[in-house]
Amino acid sequence: MEQDAQLVQQCLRGDGSAWEELVRRHTRRIYNICYRFTGNRTEAEDLSQDVFLRVYRTLGSYRSAHGGFATWMTSVTRNLLIDHYRRTKRDRATDSLEDKMPVVENKESSARRPDEQALLGELSGQVQHGLTRLSPELREAVILRDLQQLEYIEIQRVLGVPEGTVKSRINRGRIELARILQQMGVRPS
Amino acid sequence: MTPMIWTCELTEERLSDYIDNLLTQEERTAFLQHVPSCANCAPLFASVSHLVKNLHSIAEVDAPPRLVYSILDQTLGPRDSATGWQAVLQWFRGMGTRRFTYGMASLAATFLILVTASGFNWRHPKAADLHPLNIYRRADAQVHLVYARGTKFFSDLRVVNEIQSRLRENEQVPVNQEETLPQPTPGKNPGSTDGTRPGPREQNRADGIYRNLEVLADEMPVFTGLLGGSAR
Repeated sequence: MEQDAQLVQQCLRGDGSAWEELVRRHTRRIYNICYRFTGNRTEAEDLSQDVFLRVYRTLGSYRSAHGGFATWMTSVTRNLLIDHYRRTKRDRATDSLEDKMPVVENKESSARRPDEQALLGELSGQVQHGLTRLSPELREAVILRDLQQLEYIEIQRVLGVPEGTVKSRINRGRIELARILQQMGVRPS
Repeated sequence: MTPMIWTCELTEERLSDYIDNLLTQEERTAFLQHVPSCANCAPLFASVSHLVKNLHSIAEVDAPPRLVYSILDQTLGPRDSATGWQAVLQWFRGMGTRRFTYGMASLAATFLILVTASGFNWRHPKAADLHPLNIYRRADAQVHLVYARGTKFFSDLRVVNEIQSRLRENEQVPVNQEETLPQPTPGKNPGSTDGTRPGPREQNRADGIYRNLEVLADEMPVFTGLLGGSAR
């Protein structure tokens, strides 16, 4: 956190290597939020680029007193994702949900056995499919809480809504997602 | 003070508060008194807590390696290509990724297995041993050796199987030995094949089995007893 704020100050003084370090530190996290929200790798890549472009342009408006840089960046990401969702709503209505089935990604966790990795890969694909069926408000709440594992207070800052709304969205999102997965035939083991 | 009553509606509204440990002690007690025994709440709680556990176990996906460079190009502009030591350092930095390391490790393991299988002597290595022609010859010899050993193994198995089946047949015969043993026929010429004595073919086969048993007895002492029992 402290280091991020320091890097931001260096960036503002025109230090290109500090910006490069910031990009390297946050690319993976931002890409994951975008991927989980859209369920599409290409869109996630494009949106991640947009996020960093916007962050780079508005870096001067970041105030560390309002929260960590990561939270601020997540907030920028969230706003872009919602814009993107609204912009592509009409396109999506004509798309088949089946076309949006995500590919099972390669897990990085080397500590797991291959069969566990395969199961987790399958689960990840099912969860991703389920997430795309949630409304954007519930989807972003679940992604931030359970996939990005942010605290409630951070989610509150990112979404810019009261604590009660955050709690309610997370709860509804989880229940809805659990029901969707049950409908898809995913049963608790 | 009356104890708090938990309801199914409260479960729908505040299930995540329990999972995320946000309930007060009193609420928690009321939750635990109601949910496990409620036909509506118990399955809901099971499925949601299972989902949360699963969500936490899902690993992050890898961002494409080019993404960082695309972002830097868009924000800082195209970078000058590194030269000299910087280029070398950049090249080595790329080798630090876990995927590259795994790839190289599996490649090295495959190479070691192939070279060892081709008969390369690791204790006394020679440069000539790595010549493709020599590798081919050694691999060819190894393949033939494995094939010959395999053939011999199956042939031995067949012999042992035949011996065992013969011995089983012999064990069954003595039950009616008195009745089945050929009786000497008065007036019959020796060597004639009138059906009462074993013919030359049967005799040869019995001799073959005995020879196999002798070989086996040399190799495996456990067959010595059998040899004694089936002496001619």
